[in-house]
Amino acid sequence: MSKSDVVVIGSGFAGLIAALVSAEKNKKVTLLSYGAGTFPLNSGVVDIMGYDEKGAAVASPAQALATVPAEHPYKKIGIPSVQDAVKFFLDFTKKEGLPFVGSLDKQQWIVTAVGTMKPTCLVPESMQGNQCFDAAEIVLVGVKDLKDYYVDLVAKTLPDWLGKDKKYSTFTLDSHITGGRDLTTLDVARWMDTEKGFNDAVSQLKSQAGSGKVFIVPAILGTKGNEVYTKLVAALGCPVVETTGMPPSTNGLRVRDMLLDALRKHGVEVVENIKAHGSVVDGKICKAVVAGGEVRDKKYEADSFILATGGFYSGGITMRDFGEANEVVFGLPVEADCVEERWVNEQLFSAEKQTFAKAGVRTDASLRAVDEAGNCVLENVYVVGRNLSGYDFCFEHSGNGVALSSAYKAAMA
Amino acid sequence: MKMEIEERARDSADNCLACTSCIANCPITEAERKYKGPKFVGPAHNRMHFSDANDVENTLDFCSNCKNCDITCPSGVSVSTLNMLERAKYYRTHPHSQRDQMLAHGEDMAKKLDSIPLGKTFANLGMSIGKAFGVLDMMGLAGKRDMPAYAPKYFMDMFKEIKQTSYPDKVVFFPGCYINANDPEVGVAFVKVMQANHIEVLVDENFVCCGSPLVVTGYLDEAEANAHKNVDRIKYWQSKGYPVVACCTSCSLMLKQEYAELFSQQDMVDAAKNVYDAFEYLEILEEQGKLSHDFAGKKDKKYLYHAPCHLRAQAIGLPAYKMLKDMVGIEIENADAGCCGMSGNYGFKKEKYEISMKVGEELFKKIKESGANEVVCDCGTCRMQIVHATHAKVCHPIQLLAKAYKRFNKQ
Repeated sequence: MSKSDVVVIGSGFAGLIAALVSAEKNKKVTLLSYGAGTFPLNSGVVDIMGYDEKGAAVASPAQALATVPAEHPYKKIGIPSVQDAVKFFLDFTKKEGLPFVGSLDKQQWIVTAVGTMKPTCLVPESMQGNQCFDAAEIVLVGVKDLKDYYVDLVAKTLPDWLGKDKKYSTFTLDSHITGGRDLTTLDVARWMDTEKGFNDAVSQLKSQAGSGKVFIVPAILGTKGNEVYTKLVAALGCPVVETTGMPPSTNGLRVRDMLLDALRKHGVEVVENIKAHGSVVDGKICKAVVAGGEVRDKKYEADSFILATGGFYSGGITMRDFGEANEVVFGLPVEADCVEERWVNEQLFSAEKQTFAKAGVRTDASLRAVDEAGNCVLENVYVVGRNLSGYDFCFEHSGNGVALSSAYKAAMA
Repeated sequence: MKMEIEERARDSADNCLACTSCIANCPITEAERKYKGPKFVGPAHNRMHFSDANDVENTLDFCSNCKNCDITCPSGVSVSTLNMLERAKYYRTHPHSQRDQMLAHGEDMAKKLDSIPLGKTFANLGMSIGKAFGVLDMMGLAGKRDMPAYAPKYFMDMFKEIKQTSYPDKVVFFPGCYINANDPEVGVAFVKVMQANHIEVLVDENFVCCGSPLVVTGYLDEAEANAHKNVDRIKYWQSKGYPVVACCTSCSLMLKQEYAELFSQQDMVDAAKNVYDAFEYLEILEEQGKLSHDFAGKKDKKYLYHAPCHLRAQAIGLPAYKMLKDMVGIEIENADAGCCGMSGNYGFKKEKYEISMKVGEELFKKIKESGANEVVCDCGTCRMQIVHATHAKVCHPIQLLAKAYKRFNKQ
């Protein structure tokens, strides 16, 4: 019916960022969404580069970026675009009431739900694990009946990371939620959203507060924005640090909520439950994407298209048999070492990357797909996030970083 | 004939990666702690326990079939349909309540009342007296609600009195139970809009209830019988080249999508290709350059649009909202506030009333704060919920569109 300036395909982190940046440039944007992305599994932080090629923790993401191999998406995105994307995201999250902190120069550390620590680049204020380093005492807060968070396990593990010279104590918060299903962090976060729940929590935790102390809590500080966190820090008078959590991840859901809110304000058209599976192409120009539901398809026309459908996990790339890897919307060439013997490294937590994880679309520096000879395939189609080849985000911890910076660059093109 | 992939919905359960997206986005899970959440009912329990007919998830009854799980599932699992299949399995070995019998069979009641002189008048009176004396409550119905009143004249009778101009282009209107018996003006507006676009509207006396209220109360065999009746008629009209168009988004979802998901028959998939939501159809006319733009819509009013979940599940975006805003030029805002909580007959159940109202809180708040003169929504039960909770004035978008056309604007 009405042609858009940009059609974004996919509503994971990369797709929502691409739609947002396009909308901020006053483009008319249509977002084709199938499912709610991986946010419920996502810790809600932005890893730029957590571990190097050998699997050692990276101290400075900026330094790690400078040494990635030629095939890596960051090499194509380029450091200036990553810097711009980081600045954009920090400004945006501040404006939207869920401010993130961090920089490319120095890694942030976050606490996981099992009491280990992991490096990342950008974190919401509520997850600044760095605050634990200088604390004299760590108060580990569990929640009565909370599923998948065992405060005793955290207490056992965390001293290995933060040092045994600190004092560690545990405290169990009672949400007084009884009956019904198992309690998840999302349930407790909803309880914290209410005034009654929040006041109840403060009155229980207050006795544990004191100078030199830092609270570590599961991801229960509200379902939206930053408000519960700031109120709690003010009420307790000492730092509070949220851990990552098991799905559904409240931290990931807060990020999704913030991005969708922003798209709403910009008037981005979001078409839900729709699967894109083809395109209308004239020479090297894509005219429309073909998408639909169970019954019929529709053509979504635009001047440019941003592909953010994800990899194997999300169905953006499929493979019926070895050597037949396929990008489902445009049929873009997929770069993958599609040989059975090399396809998978059977050791799940090994010191090597997985071949299958690196399968994706090969692009040039403008993030447009290229064939084996290096020729641009479609001039107005940009490839972002996990659709890109040449990196194992799980191994190196770069998932949201590649998503953010590639989506930003594609939308700015 | 069975479809190539047998038992589509059941097969889809194997795509579940346990990502919990459905749980995080389920409005009932948010409102009710007793509900274990969609993942645990359909994809998890149902898949593992097909062998034993008595083994059903004990919080299954909370699912409202609103489809937000399906909308947010990144892996294409028909979560809500799995829940409905499980519910049907439960009722194969358990009796239905009288209340459920009544809520599932609104079409039969509407027909009976129409055949009795003054039947509808007394039924309406009876329902208000029943409400006042707590009879509805005793029957297991939400006593705080008004039951939908019967229209003095049903749509199918009103239709006979409409003088249409005949055109070679024709569509067959599927009114559905609610528009036919309770809200016939929506159907009349549809005929006006079609006439303004030089299309003649036909109706079909052989259509029956789409089956949506039967499916959600566990009368799956009856729903399948209805599906076959409707599919036969849809295919008949398909052979004549006339599309079937519905204004009720739950009816259109059932005809287009849920029949095939629930009953896995190839002819249901074929028939679905001939069924359209009203604004989906209008949007196609616009794409073909056939839609009349002879609008003179009044622009002094402010509207708020509420998108029914059963429309959002259809993968066609929000065609009514888009058309009213971009083409007719009406001042209209998308509430984008999630499920209203009514979900067909769910909110009419006494024990579900509180949940239903809690689910709708965000929407009610938005309506009250919006300052809109009227709330626009494609779904009849959503509109009932909105009126009940906010006392706002409501209409179907087709009524706004009919009024926007100059020829009807003058009247």
